[in-house]
Amino acid sequence: MTGDSARIVEAYTGEYASGKSEVAINRALGLAREGRPVTLVDLDIVEPCYTLRPLKKTLAAKGITVLAWETGQVGGLGETGNILRAENRWALKRPGDVVLDVGYGVEGAKTLNLLEGAGTDPDLRVLLVINIARPMTGSVEDILVYIKQMGRVDGLINNTHLGDETSVEIIQQGARVLAEAARRSGIPVVATTAVRELAALIGPKDCRGHPVRAIDRYMPGAFW
Amino acid sequence: MPKDKPIEGEKRVFMTGNEVVAWAALAADADIMFGYPITPQNEIMHYWTRLAPKFGRDFLQTEDELSAGFTTLGGVLAGRKAFTATAGPGNTLMQEPMSMAEAMRLPMVAIITQRGGPSTGTVIYSQQEVTMTTLGGNGEGMRIVYSTATHQELFDYTIKAFNAAWKYRFPTFVLGDGYQSKMRESLTIYDPAERGIAIVPPEPYFGKPGVPGVDRPPSQLRNTYNMEEELYEVVEHYLEDYAKVAPEVAEYHAHYVDDADLVVVAHGVVARAALMAVKELREDGYKVGYFRPVTLRPLPEKELREVAGRTKKFLVAESANGQLARLLKEGAYGCTTEMLPLFRPGMGITPEEVIAEAKKILG
Repeated sequence: MTGDSARIVEAYTGEYASGKSEVAINRALGLAREGRPVTLVDLDIVEPCYTLRPLKKTLAAKGITVLAWETGQVGGLGETGNILRAENRWALKRPGDVVLDVGYGVEGAKTLNLLEGAGTDPDLRVLLVINIARPMTGSVEDILVYIKQMGRVDGLINNTHLGDETSVEIIQQGARVLAEAARRSGIPVVATTAVRELAALIGPKDCRGHPVRAIDRYMPGAFW
Repeated sequence: MPKDKPIEGEKRVFMTGNEVVAWAALAADADIMFGYPITPQNEIMHYWTRLAPKFGRDFLQTEDELSAGFTTLGGVLAGRKAFTATAGPGNTLMQEPMSMAEAMRLPMVAIITQRGGPSTGTVIYSQQEVTMTTLGGNGEGMRIVYSTATHQELFDYTIKAFNAAWKYRFPTFVLGDGYQSKMRESLTIYDPAERGIAIVPPEPYFGKPGVPGVDRPPSQLRNTYNMEEELYEVVEHYLEDYAKVAPEVAEYHAHYVDDADLVVVAHGVVARAALMAVKELREDGYKVGYFRPVTLRPLPEKELREVAGRTKKFLVAESANGQLARLLKEGAYGCTTEMLPLFRPGMGITPEEVIAEAKKILG
């Protein structure tokens, strides 16, 4: 397969620490493995910790273009925020697939509005990453409220996990909760994500028929 | 309608440390948070402001940390379980209200998420606020300071901090750091009642029923005295109270200390690395022990001295230039144990570094 099939443009948003970056990284690498040209973009301009910055070189070496600051280049993080890189602002104008990692919850999701073409790009899909083991998005009701706060959401990702203690059962529980949230919101579940070992146990589809994406964990190495 | 209980029964969850603190404060029946933004503490405020309205609790953002500290004291005087959270230069500014809390025996609760210093330093991490949190301000360090190491402990000790503050009436601190704030790990959150933990209720300092001086002693709250003797009498009385409760407040963890030639001493998140290192060294046959004060004020002095009496050497590992070591030296004064440094001000410490240093010492 080459890069001439329909362009894929996905923005990963979601609750703080829901796993947006991990899901975005794995999506970008997955598309690259299919032979597609991929640009992965760090759109977290708040958080000092757990962003794509420390992984920039590692990921670039795997054959994707990574648009991100390097940790040594940034100053004034946290309460003072950071500057959006000019290259990142124009990311949607690049050829090939574009995967956007939009950090820091509801407020962070507004960073997407700073991108040239975000309001008009015909291929852009905004995907909300949800882990039901995070109490703020732990129930169908909580998720429905959260979707409303987020603004634009085109699809849901079930990224339910408990770190090293994750089980197939909790991932399937996430699938059931998200299927119900999808039914009530009219926003479809696009995929369930699971670390490779557990994805193999679940199979190609979860208990509610959502496709399962296997992920490798990169973010534990991205503290700062 | 606000919901009654933030947590029903118990639940296994995946959270950042800051989020854990907000949930624990809810579980401890905290009424109001006063705060001013500073990294790495911000998400304590963010989560509190998202959760508080659901459970009928309040929040006020003040113009700076000085004000956040004093409004916390105002909340306490009004009989509300009030708390704040800050870091680094914010902690510096808050020393003034924290001293007032010592002077007036006000159960202020503050979560400190240490960041790099001196001054504004970095927003990331350090253990450089030990001296300031334990002994800061113009006072005598009549404070309770819990230094946590895991997200589970952040939850447990935030609840405990509110109880200790309102029971003993000394300002009480949960001393975390940027790593604990931002790290994500699983833990069990629970309704304290279901674990048999009784929540100490708050009470107002003013406006109590009855006639002052007739039906009850008057509420005379002072932090200013005219005469040296007056102040001396009050402070002596407070110091006696503090010394009396210190043994029941002090907490520690010790492992493998009975036959150890070297004991690694660490607190907070560094204690995790220290324990991992000690376990690995033991597997390799090294006689190494582990001692961790959970309370840095009051220090578990009796137990520290016992360990110091049995072992020849301490290796003090901390992300500061000897701030923990200074407390240990005072606590173990007169003991002949050698105190060796693994000081990394503002830097994280890995188990591998502790192992390498221990092997170098033991040969």
